[in-house]
Amino acid sequence: MSGEILGIVLRRIAVAIPLMLLVSILVFIVLRLIPADPVAMSMPPNATNEDIEALRREMGLHLPVMHQYAIWLGHILEGDLGRSIAFGQPVFKLIGQSLPATIELAVLGALFATAIGLPGGILLFRLRGRPSEQAVDVGSTLMMSIPEFLWALFLILVFGVAFNLLPFAGRLPPDMTIPRVTGFLLLDCLLTGDLTAFLEAIRHMLLPALALALGTVPLIMRLLRSSLLDVIGEDYVTMARLRGVPERRVINRHALRNALLPTLSLMGVQFGFLFGGTLLVEVIYSYPGLGNLMVEAVRNTDLPIIQGAALVFALAVLTINLAVDVVYIVVNPKLRRAR
Amino acid sequence: MSAAAVGGESPLRRALRSGRVVVGGSILVVLLFCAAAAPLIAPYDPNEQDLLNALKGPFWTDNAAPGFWLGTDNLGRDTLSRLIYGTRVALFVAVCAAVGTMLMGTALALLAGYFGGVIDWLISRAVDLWMSFPPVVLSLILIVGFGVGIGNVILAIILVDWTRFCRVVRSEVLVIRRQNYVDAARLSGFSHMRTMVREVLPAAAPTIITLMSLEMGIAVIVEAILSFVGMSVEASIPAWGVMIADARNYMYQSAWGLVLPILAIVTTVLAFNLLGDGLRRTFDARLQQH
Repeated sequence: MSGEILGIVLRRIAVAIPLMLLVSILVFIVLRLIPADPVAMSMPPNATNEDIEALRREMGLHLPVMHQYAIWLGHILEGDLGRSIAFGQPVFKLIGQSLPATIELAVLGALFATAIGLPGGILLFRLRGRPSEQAVDVGSTLMMSIPEFLWALFLILVFGVAFNLLPFAGRLPPDMTIPRVTGFLLLDCLLTGDLTAFLEAIRHMLLPALALALGTVPLIMRLLRSSLLDVIGEDYVTMARLRGVPERRVINRHALRNALLPTLSLMGVQFGFLFGGTLLVEVIYSYPGLGNLMVEAVRNTDLPIIQGAALVFALAVLTINLAVDVVYIVVNPKLRRAR
Repeated sequence: MSAAAVGGESPLRRALRSGRVVVGGSILVVLLFCAAAAPLIAPYDPNEQDLLNALKGPFWTDNAAPGFWLGTDNLGRDTLSRLIYGTRVALFVAVCAAVGTMLMGTALALLAGYFGGVIDWLISRAVDLWMSFPPVVLSLILIVGFGVGIGNVILAIILVDWTRFCRVVRSEVLVIRRQNYVDAARLSGFSHMRTMVREVLPAAAPTIITLMSLEMGIAVIVEAILSFVGMSVEASIPAWGVMIADARNYMYQSAWGLVLPILAIVTTVLAFNLLGDGLRRTFDARLQQH
């Protein structure tokens, strides 16, 4: 069983490596199209032509494009993503500082999405054929029409501005600091034994994580409902009903277990999108993560950061898909080989 | 299964019996009217500033100013006029981007599904590659590469979202091309091109139409996101995302400035989603039985 999973993981990684290479080529080519001149941006206005030429050579811009790409890729493999034009710091370090925050936010968002989406899907399914189905259905279409960045603003207006219940800027109150141990703030709070800070950090994450989740919830609900519709006609469900098993138990114990599988595999794709959704949500909540870093870099045309962040986002999506595949195999008995 | 085979009635008539299609379509007609007639119905020029009347609320609030029905922004620009002009950007991007993604995605899907083999493998791997980027990230780096402007925003959306069409239409084409009538067309001497366009494509049309409607909603959102981060249209063109970005800094003084463009976006996307959902139900035989 575990050897089988390992085999599948290795095979998926073998597919992911050429995919990552193609991703890097795509990122490189797109950002080579850029109208702004990276040399001009990193030079003082009084630089001479010789200075500019020297920097061009230093940055390798006089070389053919494929050669430039090879050099760039070589640096990446050594963990060198270049230096930020705006901050003057290594991109690797900047991304390393902001990525844990984004991962924490995305994980909490995914948890919320699952916790709301699955019961919602069951509810949607239970209501089939009733008059209220139409209302709930239109409600879920309405929810599908609200992307996470609008939820983010809306939640701020309601819980932050109107009722002043929850904070909506940053990760901690301005007067609170936590020594950096792992970079994961929640973990660091626990490691340093600071429960007040832990609760504050959670409070700060509630609204952005909820905004992320609400963008994904209607999709999970609909997926689960249609999976349940597919399995409810199966013989084993009818058998359970004939045996007099109560409807609630038929759904929870018999139908749900099988309906969850296709839902789970599609949830992987959704969580990949959810990770991308952190971009705008972080900007709106001034949350110091990868998305905020990238949007800031886009505004400054800070190419090394944009390239690095884009690669990390792609890597994250591939990792999420891989993780979901593994979970899928672990929980799906049909895919386990008989011993 | 093709739409006409499901029932005797024409697809259009059946679609019009769907509440979703009627509601979604009606909202879109109103929005189209706003976009087309913006200079006639907007009470002010969308960029006209009235600094003495800045950050006013809508007429039902205490903070209202006469003449500005839905209030003003921080520069005293009329919110109603900016909302009306904003429909132009939103709908223009929605229609152009949806047509573009449809053309690119469907063409590749037809090639992949019809010919199979190496072509299918190549196109499917390209889809995998694209799907490994969160759409927002990909559209941002494309806009950084192309530069801002409404044409580039449309191009970026097309280059990001063609995969949506490609994946769905390809699997549809895989089923269609095994039908006898497609073989019959080939046997009676139709060229590959003619078979694809005349025989395979019409059978996939219901799916394509539904996807286009949903894609228009997505395009509205992406444009709003890009203009929110200042990477879409020029500053002089009123767009809903720009209004949101401006109003966000003043939400304590005037929350309505933020709420109204959000409502405009949600209403528009909802209309496209209702229309798409309604069309899907009309075309989908499986759902009709429920």
